[in-house]
Amino acid sequence: MKFTTSPAGFTLPSAKPLLALLLSLPLAFSACSDDEPEPEEDAELITTVTYALTPAAGSTAPAATITWEDLDGAGGAAPVITGGPLTLRANTTYTGTITLLDKTKSPVANVTDEVATEKEDHLFFYAPTPAGLMTITRTDRDANNREVGLTTRLATTAAGSGSLKITLLHQPGTKDGTASTGEADVEATVPVTVQ
Amino acid sequence: MRVNLSLSHWERGVWRVVLCLLGVLYSIAADAQMSTTAPAHPAAAGPAAGCNLALAGRVADHETGQLLPGATARLLETNDVSAADEFGNYHFHVCPGLYHLEISFVGYRPETVEVRVSSATVRNFQLHPDAVLLQGALVRGQRVAAPVPQATATLSGSALQATRGQALGEALLKVSGVSAIQTGPSVFKPMIHGLHSNRVALFNNGVRQEGQQWGQEHGPEIDPFVAARLTVVKGAAAVRYGADAMGGVVLAEPAALPDSAGVSGEGHLVGASNNGLGAASFTLQGTAKQVPGLAGRVVGTVRRAGSAATPDYRIANSGLAEYSYAGTLGYERERWGTELFFSQYNARLGLYPLPENARAAQRNTPRVAQDFTYAINRGYQDLQHTLLKLRSFYRLGERNGRLELTVAQQWDDRSEYDKFRPRNDATAARNLPELDYRNATSTAELRWEPKPWGSVSGELGLSGTYQNNTYRPGSRFFMPYYTNQALGLYGLGRWHPGARWLLEAGLRLDRRLLNTKRPTRPAGVFTVVEEDYGYFTPAASLGAMWDASPHVTLRADVSLNQRAPAANERASQGVHGGIYEEGYDISRLPGAPPLTPETARGLSLTASWHDNPRFNGEVTLYQTSFDGYIYQTPIPEVLSVRGLFPSFRYQQTDARFRGADLLATFRLLPVLTLGVKAATVWERDITKDDYLILAPADRAETWLRYEQRASAAPRRVSGFYAQVGVQAVARQARTPRPENGQDYQDPPAGYTLLNAEAGLVAGAATRHPLSLSVSGTNLLNTRYRDYLNRYRYYLDELGRNVTVRLKLNF
Repeated sequence: MKFTTSPAGFTLPSAKPLLALLLSLPLAFSACSDDEPEPEEDAELITTVTYALTPAAGSTAPAATITWEDLDGAGGAAPVITGGPLTLRANTTYTGTITLLDKTKSPVANVTDEVATEKEDHLFFYAPTPAGLMTITRTDRDANNREVGLTTRLATTAAGSGSLKITLLHQPGTKDGTASTGEADVEATVPVTVQ
Repeated sequence: MRVNLSLSHWERGVWRVVLCLLGVLYSIAADAQMSTTAPAHPAAAGPAAGCNLALAGRVADHETGQLLPGATARLLETNDVSAADEFGNYHFHVCPGLYHLEISFVGYRPETVEVRVSSATVRNFQLHPDAVLLQGALVRGQRVAAPVPQATATLSGSALQATRGQALGEALLKVSGVSAIQTGPSVFKPMIHGLHSNRVALFNNGVRQEGQQWGQEHGPEIDPFVAARLTVVKGAAAVRYGADAMGGVVLAEPAALPDSAGVSGEGHLVGASNNGLGAASFTLQGTAKQVPGLAGRVVGTVRRAGSAATPDYRIANSGLAEYSYAGTLGYERERWGTELFFSQYNARLGLYPLPENARAAQRNTPRVAQDFTYAINRGYQDLQHTLLKLRSFYRLGERNGRLELTVAQQWDDRSEYDKFRPRNDATAARNLPELDYRNATSTAELRWEPKPWGSVSGELGLSGTYQNNTYRPGSRFFMPYYTNQALGLYGLGRWHPGARWLLEAGLRLDRRLLNTKRPTRPAGVFTVVEEDYGYFTPAASLGAMWDASPHVTLRADVSLNQRAPAANERASQGVHGGIYEEGYDISRLPGAPPLTPETARGLSLTASWHDNPRFNGEVTLYQTSFDGYIYQTPIPEVLSVRGLFPSFRYQQTDARFRGADLLATFRLLPVLTLGVKAATVWERDITKDDYLILAPADRAETWLRYEQRASAAPRRVSGFYAQVGVQAVARQARTPRPENGQDYQDPPAGYTLLNAEAGLVAGAATRHPLSLSVSGTNLLNTRYRDYLNRYRYYLDELGRNVTVRLKLNF
């Protein structure tokens, strides 16, 4: 080792071990990784949205259910709608219940319960197209006496067909009964026929 | 599923071992016996007795006529030397005869003439400034990069000063031919001649920036205040810099460490009106008196900005907070030197909350209105990039040249917080990022520059990379787990057949192994797919540079490059910053082959007129043809339970890029310059006979600049300049037909912006010069959108912005 020549007589006696250490240091951090990806923890997927309608007492109309399902999340296989179009009878009133599930969990997670416990931060919107196809009213309220929309009343008039967009907005601390704030946890559109 | 492309585990291990070997090689080299050959001092032969004829003359600058005291005159026959006196005069006393007289001066091109002396002879010289050498004189102590046959542009000094406070990618927009893919107002990804991301290599202080550079919305994690000059190589430089440099290279280089005694430094303060940006950066450097050759520097920067304003509204959540610091310690002796560099960049960048539903892109008013605030809410990126580098050189002796070893380790952590807060309040309280990438990269490079052999010089290099990319267990998948190992060997040769010619040829071979592991949920069940890919990719280049006259230089360059597909191009998938993206291999049809390496054949021609008193300029024409060009194209919006997302997928096609850059300045008066800058690039999809998406629109800029004349006498205020400019960008009309990738919106309209700036230096002659400058962009508050901004569907660009910059040297 000849790192010992300098006019001032300064020497670096331990330069070589030092250098060797410095050189090997970076490599030590890059030991080959045999790690594997793990499933998401607390993944808050909503894979399945079910809207179930029961006719009001005394009606002869059959019950109706429609399910929007995307088991593998965004991308991959496209969402599947079963029970569509949602077939309703004209001039009939129904009671509606919405169910949200995460089927990637075992056992299947019921997201509806989560929403129910945080009612003050959630608001559902039901928007038919065309707008006159049916009238949907939210029938449940949170602790602040604001509507939620886990249960609904749906009334049809004339026959027709179109679609229904179901939106769930998450509005932590900002819920004021309008769609002006928050983020969409659900935005599912299903076909509807009134006959 | 396991695709194994003939890579044994043994082979993978080998590359890591090679990295260690590089270190060993270094130790061996450093341990080699230092020969102490005395430098040859040719004895100056005095004039023969009795010969007393005068040979004399005056040396001046060709352009300005200014005399050049100190210029060196040398008689090649006798090795007699005369330095020009204070009036620029040299003189010899010689015998009658034929002599070759060489005149040289720092910053000027040397000239040699034949002189026949039979009586007293007067011979005057007018030397031409040499642009390359002048640069060398500016960066005292820095090794001057050899001139390259590609067009290069450098931002340093006052040009760099005028960009202080901006992100790196934004500062580079000053260079003609460079554009940037933007994500909102604070993320700029450099694009050179229409190529970006995996095709533009960034070098931070000599180390290739490695991290999450693949993402179009990932700006370079580099603090530009650390750099004293930014160099852009416009064109393929893959032989020297690796396969990722097939589109160009950006070099961010700090100044050389000080070599004079004492402590010095500089401080920068920047404030901007539009987004309340404030930036401060301080540099302190010095040498150790007790230890000659030991020098160090520290740099610290903070940057903070609030919500940016378009002409009509503030952009919600567009603030940023950034701090970074770097330290260098260097020790240099005659024969060897070593430098340790450490830097860390930390940033939090707010992201505009994109509407959930892609169709909301059609709406022009922002859904989220906001007052000015520095607060950064959800929808942000948290970045941390750490670099540790050790570079050492060793001169092997008179005959064997110079050896240089660079080893570096980088850690790049990128946490992306969705705007969606977790629905579960307990999870939300933990406030973890939804995407949380972690990347660690080790690189090593060994370069050998043999001593030039006559007019031939060159270098040989061996470089290795080991990269491991993971994400926090339990966070959401977007990028696969991957390891990337690369080993490259290259050689570059340069030949100067005469003073006016430079020929350069280079060859490189890279071996790259990629292993990816990604989760998938066929029918809802979690499984991991592992895939291995290995490729040899070559690169070759041939370039020529010809000084047609002292004022005209022509450059030509042909290159062949191949690049293996990166992990994101193959196997990324998911929603990322409100946009759905997926790699090619994810959704390829069953039986379809995976991505193959892309091959580029490039040709570029550059002509520059330089060092002229009036007209100077540069024109570059280029063409690059790709086999298997990998690019992102919009696909029908992917439907998720949260609605429709703008969606993009990687595709591969044959493509051809053609373009031109122009820069010209004309001195109207000694103090007044008119400048023009323009760029165009035509990107064609050869397979589909169509245009490619996301090509920079044609742009032109013109400016008028007043510059105070330099004076010999010291003044209180000097270097005053004022400039007003107009920048025009056309609407991008060259977009693919709908069937080849329907964009979500038509390209935005063209726009014209008015910009101005002015600056001065106070006390230039004192020990503490203060530079002050003011610049204003979009002075007319024009409402516009840019085609290269990924948020163009939702947001206007920034309105008027006035920036004040202060720099104090101490």
